[in-house]
Amino acid sequence: MSAHAVEPIIELENVSRIYDTGRVQVPALVDANLTVAKGEFMAIIGPSGSGKSTMMNILGCLDRPTSGRYILDGQPVDELDDNGLAYVRSRSIGFVFQSYNLLPRTSALENVATPLMYQGVGRKERLSRAQAALERLGLGDRLDHEPSELSGGQQQRVGIARALVTEPALILADEPTGNLDSHSGAEVLSIFKDLHSLGRTIVLITHDIDVATAADRGVHIRDGQLYEAVLS
Amino acid sequence: MKLLDLMRLALGRLGTGKMRTGLTMLGIIIGVASVVALVSVAQGATKGISDQLNALGTNLLTVNPGFVRGAVTRGSFGGATTLTIADASAITGLDGVQAVAPELATSKLVIAGTQNETASIVGTTPAYLSVFAYDIWTGTFISQASVDQNLRVAVIGATTADNLSLTDSSIGSTIYIGGLPFELVGILQSKGGTGSEDDRVIVPLSTARELFVGSTSVSSIGLSATSQDAITTVSAEITALLDQRHGITAGATADFSITTQAQLLGTVSSVSDVLTLLLAGIASISLLVGGIGIMNIMLVSVRERTREIGIRKAIGARGRDILSQFLVEALALSLAGGAIGILFGVLASFAIGVYAGWGFVFNPITVVAAVGFSLVVGIVFGVWPASQAARLDPVVALRYE
Ligand SMILES: Nc1ncnc2c1ncn2[C@@H]1O[C@H](COP(=O)(O)OP(=O)(O)OP(=O)(O)O)[C@@H](O)[C@H]1O
Ligand SMILES: [Mg+2]
Repeated sequence: MSAHAVEPIIELENVSRIYDTGRVQVPALVDANLTVAKGEFMAIIGPSGSGKSTMMNILGCLDRPTSGRYILDGQPVDELDDNGLAYVRSRSIGFVFQSYNLLPRTSALENVATPLMYQGVGRKERLSRAQAALERLGLGDRLDHEPSELSGGQQQRVGIARALVTEPALILADEPTGNLDSHSGAEVLSIFKDLHSLGRTIVLITHDIDVATAADRGVHIRDGQLYEAVLS
Repeated sequence: MKLLDLMRLALGRLGTGKMRTGLTMLGIIIGVASVVALVSVAQGATKGISDQLNALGTNLLTVNPGFVRGAVTRGSFGGATTLTIADASAITGLDGVQAVAPELATSKLVIAGTQNETASIVGTTPAYLSVFAYDIWTGTFISQASVDQNLRVAVIGATTADNLSLTDSSIGSTIYIGGLPFELVGILQSKGGTGSEDDRVIVPLSTARELFVGSTSVSSIGLSATSQDAITTVSAEITALLDQRHGITAGATADFSITTQAQLLGTVSSVSDVLTLLLAGIASISLLVGGIGIMNIMLVSVRERTREIGIRKAIGARGRDILSQFLVEALALSLAGGAIGILFGVLASFAIGVYAGWGFVFNPITVVAAVGFSLVVGIVFGVWPASQAARLDPVVALRYE
């Protein structure tokens, strides 16, 4: 599949992110150019401190680039205000985190339904959509369990259900297998492959080249700079 | 976000830390309960005093020696000796005057059997009964004959009777007033209330003068007008009469003062307004402290839940969603505390009212004010922590451990 043949969902043009600590300026992302097409499964691979989280914060509209343009799903987002970014996160992005980041003392069902609440979806509809998402991930019998009552792999599947439930244009996963054993990790990766085969766009961020092979395209990031990668 | 969602979030949150929720609400509970109870105490006390004043007889006027007018004070209530028995007799002849009861007041040790107490002694005439609206419970009141003949007879109030263990079977027995033997001829019906009207010993005026005071002056003159409408004219008549009798010319200050029931009621109500305000003010301080407690716990909560706030923002919450979530939590705390506080406050006012004898005084305005107050406390002390939460940078919040 060629990136030029279909509509792009992510377009980064000379995007830089420089942290200003007061004493020194840390360039965490330098002149990054990247295009991700709709339906692509893409990996961003880099060692610790290379700028992966910085990249994901910008792609996920949690942070703004210091300079450059970012167009997400046809809309330039680099100049949106906080509410505008929140709106884009709510409508277009689903996050999967390394440490799951589920709401504590909240059932799996409520966790998955919460993004819909921020979209203003009525309670009945959001609970039934959340239940459907959890069932799709094989957690139909864990709806009422709180995160502390679930295994790491199960928690990550709840996290994926939460990212999917809003049908976002883009799923962003930052080290989604980082806290899991190899079995659960492989399970999560196969879920991503399934989602990809159903047409979802996924950006997977990892330091592990083996994990990255689940994707069909990859870029390396080193000292804030992107390089096209060859995945075996 | 819908209000219902916000309320569900807030209640769920408050339900997870019951101990903390309870302790935080305690400040508001105590504050609201004391506002409700203290305001009701102030109003109950006012009602009690007004009732007692009315029980004294609404047509009552009292002439006191001395005066308080302008900056100059000569004599004082009870201490001055400018009113005499002759003045009282002269007042009896005025139009619109129904009955006149001069009072000679003192205080003596009273002994009955093995019981004793220091009571106020009132020397007066038979008219006292009607002027001050007393009823006889048992026996008789002092008679004109006993006044004419300086008899050593006594009638006692209900409270004094209780204190001295005297009952209807004690009528005719001897009690000692200031060491002198008196025959107990009657016991008065209680007037109720909390005042001192029931704690007194009444003896003939002449006897009191002969044995205890030894002058022709009186402590005060009580009189009843024929009707409530006559009070103003009677008051003017007495002023004219006494000015003339005491040789007071226009412009000079009088050596007596006249108090009417209406004046007393007016004074009571203005004193009670001040009292209510004062008590409500004191109680509001505890409400303020309760509010600071809420703010404190909300600030701690925002810090503890920094990561949760980051997660919520990542999955689509706007600043104002976070703001309303924390604000509604603070409001739920303060309103729930307010509701429980009202309950306790009403229970306390009921208990105090029953104990103090003025019954249950309940003012719905107080409750409305208390709810309003809790709302304001919740908003005022919840807004700042909530806006702190709303302003958190999602990247920083998500990294927070
Ligand atoms: N808020 C910040 N202020 C200053 N410097 C920062 C800040 N965040 C990140 N950096 C710096 O930017 C560079 C990239 O950081 P980033 O967190 O993106 O790395 P990473 O690839 O995610 O690393 P890891 O795999 O360890 O999570 C690092 O040198 C880091 O020290
Ligand atoms: Mg990182």
